[in-house]
Amino acid sequence: MPKDAIGYALSALNNIARSDILDRLHLRTTAENLSYHLTRSGFRAISTSSRAFKAANPLKKPQRLHAPGQTTDYFDLNITDEQRMIRDSVRDFATEVLREEAETADAEQRTSDTVMSQAAELGLNLFAVPEALEGAATERSPVTSMLVAEDLAYGDMGQALSILAPMSVANALTHWGSAQQQSTYLNTFAGENPPRAAIALCEPRPLFDPMNLTTTARREGDNYILEGEKSLVPLAEDAELFLVAACTADGPGVFIIERGTPRLYIGSDSPMGLRAASPRSLKLDSVRVSAANRLGDRDFDYRAFVDLGTLAWCAMAIGTSQAVMDYVVPYCNERKAFGEPISYRQSVAFMVADMAIELDAMRMLTYRAVSRAEQGRSFQREAHLARTLVKDKAMTIGTNGVQLLGGHGYTHEYPVERWYRDLRAIGVAFGGLHL
Amino acid sequence: MKVLVAVKRVIDYNVKVRVKPDNTGVDLANVKMAMNPFCEIAVEEAVRLKEKGIASEIVAVTIGPKVSQEQLRTALALGADRAIQVETDDEVQSLDAAKMLKAVVDKEEPNLVIMGKQSIDTDNNQTGQMLAQLAGMPQGTFASEVEVEGEKVKVTREIDGGLLTVSLNLPAVVTTDLRLNEPRYASLPNIMKAKKKPLETVSPADLGVEAAPRLKTLKVEEPQPRQPGIKVESVEELVDKLKNEAKVI
Repeated sequence: MPKDAIGYALSALNNIARSDILDRLHLRTTAENLSYHLTRSGFRAISTSSRAFKAANPLKKPQRLHAPGQTTDYFDLNITDEQRMIRDSVRDFATEVLREEAETADAEQRTSDTVMSQAAELGLNLFAVPEALEGAATERSPVTSMLVAEDLAYGDMGQALSILAPMSVANALTHWGSAQQQSTYLNTFAGENPPRAAIALCEPRPLFDPMNLTTTARREGDNYILEGEKSLVPLAEDAELFLVAACTADGPGVFIIERGTPRLYIGSDSPMGLRAASPRSLKLDSVRVSAANRLGDRDFDYRAFVDLGTLAWCAMAIGTSQAVMDYVVPYCNERKAFGEPISYRQSVAFMVADMAIELDAMRMLTYRAVSRAEQGRSFQREAHLARTLVKDKAMTIGTNGVQLLGGHGYTHEYPVERWYRDLRAIGVAFGGLHL
Repeated sequence: MKVLVAVKRVIDYNVKVRVKPDNTGVDLANVKMAMNPFCEIAVEEAVRLKEKGIASEIVAVTIGPKVSQEQLRTALALGADRAIQVETDDEVQSLDAAKMLKAVVDKEEPNLVIMGKQSIDTDNNQTGQMLAQLAGMPQGTFASEVEVEGEKVKVTREIDGGLLTVSLNLPAVVTTDLRLNEPRYASLPNIMKAKKKPLETVSPADLGVEAAPRLKTLKVEEPQPRQPGIKVESVEELVDKLKNEAKVI
């Protein structure tokens, strides 16, 4: 190939660069810098002279592309006006009531009756019960339920779990319950004094898989006999109604069990976090339940039942992670060490930035899964992606929250240690709620 | 009895307000807006009057751009029966707001008007008083207690040095102070119902009022940051500083 001007120049430069005269005269660095600049400006000269640009059709104003007239609901993450108002109301309740009560509720291992009745006044349960049963729900809305879960957990995850547990039972009964089950149980959730209730799904064994339950339900005439142990059952101490998942001859099933059913025992083990919801284990020692109390007809989708619960946990973890974020950012900007705010240290700034990125990623995955569930599309895969990310990153955010506060983080005076303990729950929680 | 409640859309009280670089005002881009806290108290008071069986209808009214419908929906979710929006994108100052509200009062003929004593954006504390004057109604401002007794309303007012109780003939204008009540949270079912309640939109021209600003904002500035305090070694030094530096004793 014949050499052009640049080619000659480059080869001349290469020769200079190769010669050891430079080293002898101690000029190598200067020469290398010079050749670098020469080659760069040389290339620039060629590219600007190879084409002449002219205005062909003079435009009066610039042409831009606008947003599509009709947005596809797939990635439209805008919430409706109604959802915005619900968020405002729930968020206010969470920050003004739940956040204030959090320390006491954690210490006393109980969500106070006052908080529960204030939550009832907010009408959270009514929102899960259809209008025909004195509720206020006109359509299924897992997305709204998810936003509620997130905002409640922004105030306090433990109390949020206490409030969401009965709402989950109501949601499950609305979604899967038979006419008889609905008229027996569901209407009480719309009343003035809604029952405390919870779903019992998790089991105390390594690598728990909700699709492979060790709790069994054996058919005996018109009854089922349930045998096994459940863990992390919220409100266990005073719940009046449990939905217990158990393995039957025809796959996993869920059974409505009332408090006071013989041979149903509540454990005394208390977990590290979520103490306001006092999760306990539940032992079923040949508990006899009527076959009419098995949830759902043939259309019962156990997989969706589990996944909607898992997504509710994701939403709660997002809310509490957001609480951590909103706490550490001003703290790091105000807390001074070595004469400057600690956020000036890169190790701190990068950690906070990572937390923000991970939190948004958690939110996007979860919102996507729940919005697919709301649209009636398959969401099993999306739910699992969300859970896998959330259980990892929410725990990291909890740990980092404590870390960023240094010695303060390890004391009860600051809420981050409680958030850390609460967020750890996402690693063991699987289902057990319902959007 | 019909109660008219005026509400205003302002920057949410939790937001840290930023001044625009050119000092012409505060930055409203991407800032969370909410109902003025004093207006929330006014809505709550009206709803309580309805719950007591004294008020029969609550009409919420606001003046502002189209988006201020959000605050009317909030008022409806809190318990108002219907809403009127006076839609305008122009700046509306106290006197113009009072004139527009007067036109609404003429049309609606409420027995009681309840509104916030001031909005937390401009802090003027004028509209209620101006409305009372324009509409020829008695006024009970800075109310910490409101009691309707037949054709009269007894208003306990928070004033310097104590409480003053006035009795007003209805119809009257009452403006709310912070301690009048603690507003409730809008319940989810009521938020759902709010969508179905009527919301009427009118323009200032429909009311025969033309907004004409009489005040010009010259400059908006951030308040001076507070100077950090100092530590003194002894009482003598403290007294010396108070006397000679601060000159307060």
